[in-house]
Amino acid sequence: MFFRNRTIISLLLLGVLNAQSVFNAYGLGLSKSTHHTASAGAGSIGLVPTFHPGVSFDNPATWPGLQFTYVSGSYSNRSIEIGSQESSNYGNGFDKIQFVIPIQNRFAIGLSLKPVNDNNAYFKTDSTRMSFHGRDLTFNKEFRSGGGILAGSFGFAIPMNDRMGLGLSFDKLFGSSRDEESLILNSVHYRLFNIKTYSGSVFNINFAGKFYDAKNVMVTGYARISMTREPVSGTQYQFDLFEDINDNYSFDTDDYPATIDVDTIKVSNIYAPSSFSFGLNAGFNNDLNIFGEFQLWNDQATNGKYTSIYKDQIGSKSHVGGGLVKFGKMGARSWQDRITMRFGIFKESYLLKNSGRKINENGITVGFGFKFAATGNQLDVAYRTGARFMTNDYKESIQEFTIGLSLGDIWFLRRRAK
Amino acid sequence: MNINILNTTLGVCLVGLLALSACEEAAIPVGVDNTPITLDTISFPVVKAIAYQSPPEMGKTEYLYFGKQDGFDFQYNLIKFDSTSVTANTPFSYFNDSLVVVDSLRLSLRFDKDSITSDAEFQLRYFPSGGDSVFNELESNYLNFNQAIASEIISTAQMEADSIDTNKTEVYLNFTLDSSIVNAFRDTSVLEYNRSFLVELANESSESFYFHSTDIQAGIKPELTVFYRQFLSDTVVLDTTSRSYLAVADISIITPAPISFEDSTTLSVSIAKGLKSIVFVDMGDWTLPSKSIVSSAQIIFNRVESDSIAQFKVISHPMTSEGVYERFTSFMDDPYDEDLNFFVSTALIDNVLKINHRKAATEIGHKNFTNFGFKLQSSFNNDPFTTVQFYGINNTDYYPVMRVIYVLP
Repeated sequence: MFFRNRTIISLLLLGVLNAQSVFNAYGLGLSKSTHHTASAGAGSIGLVPTFHPGVSFDNPATWPGLQFTYVSGSYSNRSIEIGSQESSNYGNGFDKIQFVIPIQNRFAIGLSLKPVNDNNAYFKTDSTRMSFHGRDLTFNKEFRSGGGILAGSFGFAIPMNDRMGLGLSFDKLFGSSRDEESLILNSVHYRLFNIKTYSGSVFNINFAGKFYDAKNVMVTGYARISMTREPVSGTQYQFDLFEDINDNYSFDTDDYPATIDVDTIKVSNIYAPSSFSFGLNAGFNNDLNIFGEFQLWNDQATNGKYTSIYKDQIGSKSHVGGGLVKFGKMGARSWQDRITMRFGIFKESYLLKNSGRKINENGITVGFGFKFAATGNQLDVAYRTGARFMTNDYKESIQEFTIGLSLGDIWFLRRRAK
Repeated sequence: MNINILNTTLGVCLVGLLALSACEEAAIPVGVDNTPITLDTISFPVVKAIAYQSPPEMGKTEYLYFGKQDGFDFQYNLIKFDSTSVTANTPFSYFNDSLVVVDSLRLSLRFDKDSITSDAEFQLRYFPSGGDSVFNELESNYLNFNQAIASEIISTAQMEADSIDTNKTEVYLNFTLDSSIVNAFRDTSVLEYNRSFLVELANESSESFYFHSTDIQAGIKPELTVFYRQFLSDTVVLDTTSRSYLAVADISIITPAPISFEDSTTLSVSIAKGLKSIVFVDMGDWTLPSKSIVSSAQIIFNRVESDSIAQFKVISHPMTSEGVYERFTSFMDDPYDEDLNFFVSTALIDNVLKINHRKAATEIGHKNFTNFGFKLQSSFNNDPFTTVQFYGINNTDYYPVMRVIYVLP
């Protein structure tokens, strides 16, 4: 079955461009809080169950609750409207690709690939006109950046006792980004490129536990501690400024000067995220769940040399959110009963390291999940609307549509002898 | 598993993904203050400038000149032919074969007009003792070339018309040469024997005659044709056939017209008069910031004459030695070498010449190249007899100046 779906997985990998944001230009850009579509539908940071009763794909401690092995992918399309601009920015890209194998309802292992942050931004200044001894000079500037850090993650879940479980995961951080500064003088582009590579690692300790279990209600708690094992270091390839005579965005033999140098700069300790998160979920016997989550995130990097157009970077972040999830039943006769409904609301605050300025973000989310087939396949969709703003500065209106497909299969099933 | 539900679901997902695959990016407006990459400008004065004369360099002109015109005396022309033929790449050594018999040779020059206007007679010499290098297209001139090394006259000719078709006639100067000439060419001891000829008017003429040179863009280059027969055996011989050899270098040796007062008091350039100019731009200790790009470094000159002129280009290079700016001087040889890596050719537009020396300015700004000044000369594509004069540093309104625009990271 997994091989049958290679086409879908390939399509999920096609787009990797998220919509640009003003705030992506601060340092390495904004870090993503949500990865799986089920979590996105509830506005969750992935601690509490949103995919299946007792299971969040983003929390390894809950993976033993899965009844099947899953391949899961999430893909989002985002629209960001900046200030009073008439036009919006659109972008799309995969949010997560994941493979999870539950083992005997007690253990689980999983692999995933997900974007950690987003560096996509595109700025333009107004045109400036000046006369240089009778020669008219008109120029403006453009700044573009894209790419970012990805995390390749390996995680496993182990039981602590019959009420608690632990999930450990190791994230290998890697990736690259490219930024371009250009000055357009009388329609001639002068460009400068930087290509940056990243490498580092993070490990996470996840916890899931049943705190209270009565006839009508069950209260579960979840927590995660993320720590940097190896701060992200990188190499910056800084290409010299050149005149892009043929305006093809890259340096070639038609451009001036004939050759350019590339400075290779090694930079260490540029990104060292750590966070503490916890959440509570109250599940009622009618499959309705109410949850709340809180997260404190901090970048403890000591080196700020990877700056962009804004000489500042994200230093910390807090998240508060809550919502409702009503899980569908896989074996229900009526298709309506197989639908999982999600609703959430959240608020995030980013703090900039150098200036101390705060970026506030809030959002409302709604999502649906539809179970089909005997192996727990699930199609999830999520919609989020919200705003992100800095006091007395830019304001962005965000709309995001996410689609996720999780295909289940049975592994490690004891076969009957023929 | 209900396969229909699965297929429908997968189909919906694929359509959804394709529908979402588009993206659009509108630039976010941002203030220009405190943003990286900036533009800057600077002007440098031209503090020294002078014209000078050196022997005319006529090796790259499109025509070979005979006679006299506007004070110029076209003494003679030197032509060198290729060592292999146009077709079959036949070398002259091919004619060493005892079974190949050369009957005659013909040297042809194409007249620039289609009708014969004069019965002037031309004569031809060659250089049997000239060695491998008789003349240099870029260096030979009326002062340094010794005409006496040429042979006696080996052929004479007058222009003759050749009807291409009923409507068109071309005029050629065809010299017929004795086969003994090729005997010299094919001398087995000197296979790369010089293949140079001297062509001149048999008698002085006040008229001028233009023939196509090897540098002409659209025309017929000088050509040497060898007519020969090849014996297959003692009794069997093929019909006469021929091989053509095109000119690879040629030059008119001329005596320049007298220099006028304006020529010597302005920044003048002319090929046939041998006029060139040098200017020194005072760039002081200016340093171009590291990693910067010079967008333009224009040295601006204003033409003295205000009338319109056919397209005229000026070649300029930075010099590699100090210039002497005290007075107009006529030199036996051009004393100023230039750095050919910084060649710039600029067209005169609306009587203003803006020579963009940004490569040289960049190297000077980075202290990789010493600023000795810049040399100006007429492009070989111009009419060699046109003289263009630019205002010098003493003009209060139209003095030359360098304007630099550069971008800093």
